[in-house]
Order: sequence, then structure tokens, then C-alpha cells
Amino acid sequence: MKITRIIIFSAVFLTATAASIAQNNITGNQIIENVYNRDSGEDITSDLTMTLINSRGDTRVREIKQFGKDYGKEEKSIMFFLSPADVRNTSFMNWSYDEEGRDDDQWIYLPALKKVKRISSDSKSDYFMGSDFTYDDLGDRHPSEDTHKLIREEILDGEDCYVVESIPKEEDYMYSKTITWVIKDKWIGLKKEFYDEDGDHLKTLSVASHEKIDGYWTILNSNMHNVQKDHKTLMELSDVKINTGIEDRKFTERIMKRGL
Amino acid sequence: MIKRILIFVFLQLIFLSAGQAQDLLLSGYARTYIGALTTGENDYSILQNTFSIDFEHSRDNVYFNVNPFLYHYSDDKLELGFRQAYMDFYFDSFDIRLGKQQIIWGKADGVFITDIVSPKDMREFLLPDFNEIRIGVTALKFDYYFGNNTIEFVWIPVFTATQMADNNSIWSVSPDLSLAYGYDYSEADVQDKLENSEFFAKYSMLSSAIDFEIIAAYSWDDDPTYHSKKIFNPILGQVDSVVLQPQYHRLTTFGGSFSTTLGPIVLRGEGAGYSGKYFMSENPSLVNGTEKKDYLHYLFGVDYSIGDLKLSSQFIQQTILDYNDYLLNDEFENTLTFLATMDFLRETLNVELFSYIGLNDGDALIRPKITYDYVDGLEMQFGANLFLGDEGQFGTFDKNDMIYTKLKYSF
Repeated sequence: MKITRIIIFSAVFLTATAASIAQNNITGNQIIENVYNRDSGEDITSDLTMTLINSRGDTRVREIKQFGKDYGKEEKSIMFFLSPADVRNTSFMNWSYDEEGRDDDQWIYLPALKKVKRISSDSKSDYFMGSDFTYDDLGDRHPSEDTHKLIREEILDGEDCYVVESIPKEEDYMYSKTITWVIKDKWIGLKKEFYDEDGDHLKTLSVASHEKIDGYWTILNSNMHNVQKDHKTLMELSDVKINTGIEDRKFTERIMKRGL
Repeated sequence: MIKRILIFVFLQLIFLSAGQAQDLLLSGYARTYIGALTTGENDYSILQNTFSIDFEHSRDNVYFNVNPFLYHYSDDKLELGFRQAYMDFYFDSFDIRLGKQQIIWGKADGVFITDIVSPKDMREFLLPDFNEIRIGVTALKFDYYFGNNTIEFVWIPVFTATQMADNNSIWSVSPDLSLAYGYDYSEADVQDKLENSEFFAKYSMLSSAIDFEIIAAYSWDDDPTYHSKKIFNPILGQVDSVVLQPQYHRLTTFGGSFSTTLGPIVLRGEGAGYSGKYFMSENPSLVNGTEKKDYLHYLFGVDYSIGDLKLSSQFIQQTILDYNDYLLNDEFENTLTFLATMDFLRETLNVELFSYIGLNDGDALIRPKITYDYVDGLEMQFGANLFLGDEGQFGTFDKNDMIYTKLKYSF
């Protein structure tokens, strides 16, 4: 298994806090802006378990320990791969920037090579560790990259939701559109449908559970189902800690090499 | 037999200690590796079983790692060793590592320029995994950190040389001499003395704009220089053969490396100047057939992607300064490397092509391979090592084309 590049923290879909805004006559763009501009805390620590399930029901499990910190205009994250055994002690560090058009800086430490290697961050349509999540699905896609339209409001899984259709401005983007169910007041996505370049339904992301941890809404279990290939990826966050005061030196070459 | 008993006892102790020690992390792999030559009578070039295990333990600010390995060959020959065995001591702004350790420097892939601390195991040329090519050195390593900067000092009290292939191995390299020759290994030793220590220093920085390293070393050349002693034949009345005497020499090195991104492309560079390098010479006025020359070695590389296809290429040049035509090496030696790799089936199948291309002699080493993760931790690999050309560092192994398979179970 190859690990190439990863973006995972501050996922628009993963965490959000309640925001008090006027909800009458709200537009699709305002809804997605509210999700994007949520306060998700200064830092986060969590264990991530991804279970990849193929159409025959075979499973593969990937386990990661991850840390992230928001520096205002810059976010830093570091991940340590715990399993499977052949990638154990591999680490990955990402520095992302608010500045429009500025690419992330990314490095990977491969224990077999015993050195930290800078990698390019341009391929956001690549799939993360063979899962059904692309790097862009996990990343912080700016609302200005899509045109958003509120198409209806409905109850989903007992939650009062806005349903927003987002169409990318970039013509060759990997999705022709996405439809997101955003829980009112919590400003987190409960479900998201992805449509391929031909306009056919490609994937559905469903949230199985979310909780308020340390004052912040956090999605703990989600499922990305590729309906065309009948793949599934279950993503489970556990041992989530927010605002623990992670030291700056966590996001350095020293810690990439040393590990947990 | 005694060796086998010792190995058995050793492994028993390992597992007993692993079972009893609390919080002892254990990982490793077992691997079977079969390779056959595709030329001649299709002899096996390698039949090897490998067992490698990593023990890790940490308490407060102390950590230890021990990595014993065992190679078992088809003739029942066993080789047991420690790839690493060290202790780390972590402090607020510095770390100390003491013991046998692999130390890797530089930004180059598959090329050794500033990466001069750990010597190499060249008994199978450049074919093993790089983790197995590196020989651990017994050293004291000190790292001081400030921000994203690191200053590193390494003291190696006992010299460890590059392991060369035996003279009867298919990977041994014969010197390009016009006279008959033999070997005398009586001088091929660096005594274990304090004054024979090696010293290395590195400053490195990792930043958003660029990563770079600057290095300096006062060390020994890990590769031996073959001094020659001419043998005069009184019957013929002329020199008719030479005795080659491998010797190690002091080397002073300065260099650096960088890595940065330019849009979707990663640019890498690395270079070093070596003072005190000896080269074989056919200058008849020389007594021992070698000349001391300064020497440069540098590289420029790019990594980029075309869709899901990941590509990497490097241009490498070695230059001997103050060159003369008696030297057996070329004044400039140019090499290219090329890597193409792509994942399929949710990253469980990987197809890779890596090649070294010697531009001076028109030779090459082409290494296609397919790796499939049958289940997590169980990897099957099929590949080939194809040597092209008649001379040069790769063409000299033209008869060693091989196909191979590896089955590796990681735990």
C-alpha cells in the first residue's frame, strides 16, 4: 500500500459549532459559508479508523493517530500511521494556508528510507489510502469554488436540514455537482451526494453519529458509499480531544521521525 | 552446528523477553525471495529467507530500538546480525542517540552524495531494499532543535567499511587493467583507535518555501582504493602483473541538498565536494597506481504527476578535478534515474518502473516490478532486474539479468 498525500483536518464535513445567525431567507451560499466558517477549536487530537469494504464484503482496516492545530491563517496537522503493519511508523505532515491559491506544504516520513521527503499537494482527486474519500472530500474546499443553491428543507434522520446543491465553477472538476444536507443550527453536514462528470450518482456520504465534544459538534462515524462500484469506507473517530494545547513542536521534522 | 544452536537460543530469548516485558512493541517481517538469472542456464541468483524483527520500548524520555535480522540461504548458510540497536535520550531541545544506527542524509533517491554516514552493503549491488543496503554504524548522534532548524553532530568511534561482493560473486567488479592481477588484503584495515574516529555535522531546515541541509564530514572513504604493486618478471624482463592492495583513506567532505515545490512539481538538488579521494591510475611513473584528486558529485531531480501516474527523474554528474588521461575513471560520469509508479485496485496493486541509465557507456539497469497486497500485511512482488550494455557500472553486469519474486508478511 502506498501513501502519497493526505489532507484530513478541518474537514468541512467533520466538525462544526452552533452559530447564531438569522435563518430566514438564508441562501445556499450563506449555509455553506456558515459550515466553512465554524469555530472548530484551536487544536484537535483523535484516533482515526478507516474500514475499507469492497463489493464482496472483504475488509481492510487502516488506523491513524492525528493531531491538528489552527494558527489563524495557517493550519498544521500531523498523522502517524499505526496499521497495517507495513506502513507502521510512517508519518505525514501538512501545513495549509488561508491565502487563496496557495498550495499546502506536505511531507512524508517513510521509516524504510529514514528520511523526511517533501511531496507535492496538487492531486486532490486522488483517493486517500485506497479509501472512497478523495483528498478534496477530506479537505477544506473553499465555498467560493462552487455555486451554492438552497433547493429545499427537509427532515433527515430526525434532524431539520437545509438541502444545498453545489456546482463547481471549475469545468473539469471531478464532480459535476454535490448535494449536501446541513443540519440547521449545528451547521454540520448529515449527508452528501456526489455526482460524477457525466452527472451520474457516484457516492453518498452518510453520518452515523455525531456528538458535542468539549463544546464542539463532532462527527464520530460516517460512511462513504461508492454506489457505482459498491465500495464502502467507514470512518470512525475516537478519543477526540479539543483545545488541549498541543505544542508547536508537534508539527516538526523531529516529531515526524520520532513518532508517537 | 554451534552457530545454529546460538541462533536458536537467541531467538528463544527474544520471544521470552517479548512475552514478559511490559509495553514492549514488536513488529517485523518474514520474507521469501527467489531470483533466477535469465541468461546462461537459468541458475538461481538468490534463494533467501529473511526474518527481521523490531523491538521498541520507551519510558519517560528514554527509548530503545533493537532490530535483529536473520538471512537463511538455500545452502543452509545463516547470517544473523543487528540492523540497528540503539537508545534515545530525549530532552527539551535536543536528543541523543547512542548505539548501532542507520543514519541517512540528503534529498537524492537511490544515489549517495551527501549520504555518507552509513556505509553500504554492496554484496548484491544496488538490488536489495535500501533499508538493507544501509549498514548500521556504532555512533553517538546529537541533535539540537530550534524552531524548524536542526543541528546534528555524529561521532563514529570505529570505522565500518562498505561491504563489497566476494571475488567469486556474480556481483564482484573486476578492475579494467591490461595486466594480470591478484589481491593483497593486508593493508585493508583501519585500526580501532580514537584517532581513527569519524566526525559528521549537518545543519538542516524545513520551511514552507524550501527544505535544505548543509553538511561537513571528516571521515574515511567507505569504499576502498585499490593501490597496485607492479610485479617485475625477470625472465621476461618486464612488469607482467600487478598486486592490488585495497586501502582506506581519509576524506573531507562539504555539501548540501535542497527540496522545494514549484506548483505541482517538486524540485530537488544535492551536491558535495570531496577532498582526499584516491583514483586508480595507469601513470607509469606512479609507484602505487593511484592519484589523489578532489572530486565533485551532484544531482538535480524533479518529481511530478500526470493524472494518477507519478514520475520522478534525476540527473547525476560526477567530476574529477585536475583530471589527466591516466586515470581509469572518466573525467565526467553522467547518470540518469527515472521512476514511474502507479497504484490500482484501491492502492493494493502497484506497478513501478525504476531505472538507472549510464550516459557515458550507454548502459542501464531497468527494474520493473508489480506489488500486490493480497491481504493487509501480506505482499507479493514480481519483478525483473535487466542490465543493458557491455561496460560501465551497470553494463558490467550484463549477464546478471534476473527475474524474481518476493513474498513478505509484515506484523
